[in-house]
Amino acid sequence: MPTFEFKNAQELGRVFETHGVRYLFFGKSGAILLGYSDTTQDVDLYIEKRRENCERVAAGLLELGSRLTEQEQKEVRRGKAFIQLRNGPFDLDLIFAPDGVERFEDAWERRVERHGLPIANIEDIIGSKRAATRQRDRESLPRLLPFKFKNWLEKNK
Amino acid sequence: MANAEQNSEWEDFKAAARRPIEQHVRNSFIHTYKPVLDDAEYRSFDTMEEYRRWCKENLPDWLGYSRD
Repeated sequence: MPTFEFKNAQELGRVFETHGVRYLFFGKSGAILLGYSDTTQDVDLYIEKRRENCERVAAGLLELGSRLTEQEQKEVRRGKAFIQLRNGPFDLDLIFAPDGVERFEDAWERRVERHGLPIANIEDIIGSKRAATRQRDRESLPRLLPFKFKNWLEKNK
Repeated sequence: MANAEQNSEWEDFKAAARRPIEQHVRNSFIHTYKPVLDDAEYRSFDTMEEYRRWCKENLPDWLGYSRD
């Protein structure tokens, strides 16, 4: 499996913009695009769960090179809560209902545009990890919180 | 100790901010094989609860996907 590179983020951004997809880079991958230094393997995307949007995501994924069967495409179009893809150019998790975020619209309003890409606000990324309460999320919080503080300092200096 | 750790994180963040984004992403996305999780090309779940339950029942504890 090839590793995710910045050019993949740009390509995803270009293709999803062409298709009019509403999405946000989320989770640790989103934080990394905001400048956070840590390691991860996959890209998390928070997808707006409107029917038209889910249809656009399916079309965009095919254009990006995901090998989705008819049934899998149907599930993406339906907007299942969580879809894990290891059949494309990089590892990708599609999240339609993340822990700790009530509505996509709210996260969209709070988003940050960085490198021409829509990225969830660090507050939402941390809030979701807090709500998920998995061991791996609990372990990442002590490092994410100072990063949030650093961002706040930079914005307010 | 806590301060030393925090200072080291701070230095990490500052260093990351100085790197070009291409390098920063290359340093951050590292493929490490995760047993079970990486053994299927596609998985989907109707609810996050169903996903969490699947993680608990199927993944090794040390991967850290469990809520316990």
